[in-house]
Amino acid sequence: MAIWTEANPFLDPPAGENSFSRITHNVTRVAEAEKPPKAWFIALGISSTMLAIFGISIAYVFWNGIGSWGNMHPVMWGFPIVNFVFWIGIGHAGTLISAILFLLRQTWRTAINRFAEAMTIFAVMCAGIFPGIHVGRPWLPYWMFPIPNQMSMWPQFRSPLEWDIFAVGTYFTVSLMFWFMGMIPDLATLRDRATSTPRRLIYGILAMGWRGSSRQWHRYERAYLILAALATPLVLSVHSVVSFDFATSQLPGWHTTIFPPYFVAGAIFGGFAMVLTLAVPARQFFGLKRLIAIRHLELMNKILIATGLMVGYAYGMEFFISWYSGSPYEGFAFVNRAFGPYAWAYWTMVTCNVLIPQLHWFKEVRTNPWATLAIGIAVNVGMWFERFVIICTSQSRDFLPSSWGYFIPTPFDYMTLCGSFGLFFTLFLLFCRYLPMVAMAEVKAAHPDAHAAHAQAHAAVTEAARA
Amino acid sequence: MNEKASTAGAASGTAKSHGLLAEYRTPGALIAASKRVRDAGYRHWDTYTPFPVHGIDRAMGIKMTGLPWIVLACGLLGCGTGIWLQWWTNAVDYAWIISGKPFWSLPANVPVIFELSVLFSATGALFGMLALNGLPHPSHPLDLSARFAGVTSDKFFLLIQSSDPRFDERETRALLQETEPAGMEELPEGPGLDDRLPAYWTYAMVILAVLALVPFGLIAKARAEKSSQPRLHAIGDMDWQPKFKAQRANLVFADHRAMRLPVEGTVARGELFDDDHFYRGKTSSGAWARTFPKQVEPSDELMQRGNQRFGIYCTPCHGQLGDGNGMITQRAQDIGQVWVPPTNIADERLHRQPVGQLFNTVSRGLRNMPAYGAQIEPMDRWAIVMYVRALQRSRHANLSDLPEADRASLK
Amino acid sequence: MAASSGNHDKKSPSGPSEGTTFDDNIRLDGAAGGLFIKAGAVGLGALVLSVLLGMMQHDGGKQLLHSYLVAFMWMLSICLGALWWVTLQHLVKAKWSVVLRRVGEILASNMPLLAILSLPIVVPVLLGSTSLYPWADAKKMHADHLLEHKTPYLNSGFFAVRWLIYFGFWALLGRHFLVRSLRQDESGSQEELSRLARLSGPAMILVALTLTFAAVDFLMTLDPTWFSTIFGVYYFAGCVVSVHSFFALTFMWLQSRGRIAKSITIEHYHDLGKMMFAFIVFWSYIAFSQFMLIWYANIPEETHWYKLRFGGPWGAVSWTLVICHFLIPFFGLLSRQIKRNKKTLAFWAVWILVIHWVDMYWLVMPQLSAERLPLSLLDLTCLVGLVGVFMAAAVYQARRVNLVPIKDPRLAASVAFENI
Repeated sequence: MAIWTEANPFLDPPAGENSFSRITHNVTRVAEAEKPPKAWFIALGISSTMLAIFGISIAYVFWNGIGSWGNMHPVMWGFPIVNFVFWIGIGHAGTLISAILFLLRQTWRTAINRFAEAMTIFAVMCAGIFPGIHVGRPWLPYWMFPIPNQMSMWPQFRSPLEWDIFAVGTYFTVSLMFWFMGMIPDLATLRDRATSTPRRLIYGILAMGWRGSSRQWHRYERAYLILAALATPLVLSVHSVVSFDFATSQLPGWHTTIFPPYFVAGAIFGGFAMVLTLAVPARQFFGLKRLIAIRHLELMNKILIATGLMVGYAYGMEFFISWYSGSPYEGFAFVNRAFGPYAWAYWTMVTCNVLIPQLHWFKEVRTNPWATLAIGIAVNVGMWFERFVIICTSQSRDFLPSSWGYFIPTPFDYMTLCGSFGLFFTLFLLFCRYLPMVAMAEVKAAHPDAHAAHAQAHAAVTEAARA
Repeated sequence: MNEKASTAGAASGTAKSHGLLAEYRTPGALIAASKRVRDAGYRHWDTYTPFPVHGIDRAMGIKMTGLPWIVLACGLLGCGTGIWLQWWTNAVDYAWIISGKPFWSLPANVPVIFELSVLFSATGALFGMLALNGLPHPSHPLDLSARFAGVTSDKFFLLIQSSDPRFDERETRALLQETEPAGMEELPEGPGLDDRLPAYWTYAMVILAVLALVPFGLIAKARAEKSSQPRLHAIGDMDWQPKFKAQRANLVFADHRAMRLPVEGTVARGELFDDDHFYRGKTSSGAWARTFPKQVEPSDELMQRGNQRFGIYCTPCHGQLGDGNGMITQRAQDIGQVWVPPTNIADERLHRQPVGQLFNTVSRGLRNMPAYGAQIEPMDRWAIVMYVRALQRSRHANLSDLPEADRASLK
Repeated sequence: MAASSGNHDKKSPSGPSEGTTFDDNIRLDGAAGGLFIKAGAVGLGALVLSVLLGMMQHDGGKQLLHSYLVAFMWMLSICLGALWWVTLQHLVKAKWSVVLRRVGEILASNMPLLAILSLPIVVPVLLGSTSLYPWADAKKMHADHLLEHKTPYLNSGFFAVRWLIYFGFWALLGRHFLVRSLRQDESGSQEELSRLARLSGPAMILVALTLTFAAVDFLMTLDPTWFSTIFGVYYFAGCVVSVHSFFALTFMWLQSRGRIAKSITIEHYHDLGKMMFAFIVFWSYIAFSQFMLIWYANIPEETHWYKLRFGGPWGAVSWTLVICHFLIPFFGLLSRQIKRNKKTLAFWAVWILVIHWVDMYWLVMPQLSAERLPLSLLDLTCLVGLVGVFMAAAVYQARRVNLVPIKDPRLAASVAFENI
């Protein structure tokens, strides 16, 4: 454990003459340090090894075909689509934190929104890879885009899979724009503090000549608000569209009307668990305990209970209606989930998603960072199994018992899954090192010293108005 | 940086002044100063802060931006694009029925319409903001001030430009002096960017830009040229698969044949065709059978079956009447193809052939006619033969063949 | 950080600081008596008229009961919406809404009245009348194998038990929030608020479950063969959008009479408007999800419900919902200026309440008549009756209490807050 605390240059208290410069110093020293802590190098070593495994497994699958995976009839979707839905869900918490909590005036979000947004982008990148490699002909992805081609064919817009292209593509683009726009003032800070030409040049180009003009801030804040207001329905739509992939079909266990909000709640639930999984170590290693306080972890844990209960509500409604509908196929699908060959996956899911998060009702648990980390990881496992249960149990036993089957993953399935975590963590570690990990300008604006000014101004304006 | 700034400062005595820059310790002081400047009637001025200071919009008298209207316009454009794109591609240009849905089915088109509306709106919000703010803005006289670098950390500034009609070196200075700034300086006019791009960066970027054009050049070349070579196979694309096809060589076996013969003296299940009459249309002596085998009992159903099978397999060439004028023949004549017309089934020669021989022709083909034995079950082939016999009979019929009742109708 | 910004809010000079008396007219007092009598008289009169009109129809009370169910579910959505809203404000310890919370509590504590008002729906079921719910007749249920499967759930005994649970829980919860909050008015105890906050977590779970199953029982089982897992969420969306509209109108009415005139600012209306806008979109999202999934999968067990609602005159009603429950209010409420103007906001609040009634009508009435719109004077008299009685009860609750929780420590922040 010593390695995590020893020789960590980020653990000294930040210096600065006022609270604003202390915030600047606290955040920028991570990006400006000559050498990051050893823990960072170890983590990067592990994650880039996993990334290499990802590359190797994908190359193998491209060369030898989809048969390298366990996908078979009737479970055609298998791991790739489980992973796709899992990763796209992870991204949702980032947008929730940056957009929805912003609209709800939750200023505590400033501590975590930047890296939650980064998490969104990296998670969507991981997610986007899976449908691409699952189609089996990864060199023909342009067929999915409305590009005039030599066959005079257009994409089939009545298919939910085509909606996915647009939903995920829009989500990635808008998240990237939102993230980048939020970073402009902080990149300007890094530019102004840069000591070497390459740093000044790169941060300078990215900051686009931002100088903190109030007239610019005014439009900037308006644009930020608008993007937040756009991202909110967008994030709802993305996982809803993903749920349409399933729910528009007639397969028992897939076709049910609660899928869209249920998937969205599940996505936010899983995403928050991932934020916690990343936030606890990040605040530990990079000395951000003052910015990402226990209070923030506690609030996120409360959201975790709330979204976890929404997911539990959906599990319950599905079960109730599968009985109430009187459809023998629906009834069987759910009995099969709970007591069939995949019962082990189903009960893992219920335990991790519905039972374990209930521990957060206790204040001692939700204010303990390590318990938070453990429960966050449990929820991530549970949410992965949720997608596994939905996809594999329904596909493996549908209407025709003669075509039933049982999905057995191959080593390449596991390698691809593990490798996608490598991609995610590698990108995340690079982000932590080179970009402002906390939204400095937003933290400063939410600081009491900034508000005091506002209060004075407000009082003065009111006086002026009365006079 | 400091050195350069001081040289610039020293030069300011002669250079034209850009304006007066005042620094404040707290956002509160800046707001108070802003109100003074606003009330004094200045227009070409601005404040600079590390974060959006709330209340400063009002203190400075900044009007609400028109950005929301740009976003609304972009959103409506995205909505329209979504509707048009899906209508044009799926209902007009490439109409194609999918899962029984109408070509233009609004419920299924809503998700993409929504996504495009959001995409266009968000793009409008970001780029609209950048455009209204005049970003990117690489160079500014403010960059010459050493103390101004703190603006992105913890410093607050107010700049009154000399271009303002009310700007007066002495009065403006006095006004700012009254607001008790933590510091004040005069900004010289001129390009602020004192760090020119190093030469090697310029060269590297030019080279990278040229290299980036290479793939596009290759694509353009490929599109413009014709080639008789087979296309490139970056990945197998299922053209080569690790399996053996019929009639290929295989070095594993001594006879180098991929296809294997059955073991000597064995017959596969269901493939013991030992009834020559039924399966080959021959009698035990080897001559064409003149009678139907015992399994084939003439009946109405069998005749109907023969009619139907004949309709499926034979009419394309031989035609409904069996006279050889099928759709394919007609088409061949229409386009002037070299085409040997199929035999007229009612031909005297065929009329005289034994049923066994007809059965053999259906099973194994003759001249241009392919073999149908693999496609049609033996019993169905016999049904076709029976129907062919009936067709022949009908082509050579005379009045006396008809029942009494029908004769009257023909007269 | 937020804790310290809380400190700042207390320092904020424009709001009243802690310890001082709240400087606003926050009592209904004298006005209450007259209002109670007027609203009560109109309400009772309209209800009596409805019964008379219903008896003249000679259809076994079918028209009356259906019209009454539409009006009742509309009224319930506001009361239930208020209960949910109060629970939510305690759950998230909201600051902005403190000045509005007491009125929400008063509306939510009307649940016992709604329990009584639900008797005309519940009693016929217990008597085995199939005027509303075909499943109330056990014999019919056993005749159809698909319905027979549902008898463990759809029988009048279990329905009565569920009805008791729903209304018992809602009445207790609504009462509890109001009583505790009033007690806090006197004690000023922070502990009281923390206790309510702790209660609101489990309460929210129960509100979600009871709301869902109440929507299933009262609305979805009108057609006992049809089923949709999202149905509870659909009714919930309607509750939330209509309760915020109802709040906006209530506060405008109170302020026009000089009550809470200073403390409720345009900022609060702006927030109510934002919630109306957000939940108009949410309602559309839920409604679209339910429709599109059923339309796309095209399974006859599910599509018959929509086929009914797109056949004959009902198609026009369905399209009215698409246009007037989504498109028009979406663009209408989009602008910040509209939400920050009391007159325009009032217009959209009325619009939403009306279209929410159409939504309830669209859920209930096709089961009564597929071929024609069963428009009747009863629709109006039932609604007026319920609103009148509801308002009378609310005024009665409000007659001797503060309309603002004056000792809530977050009150100053609530009065002073500003939107970005």
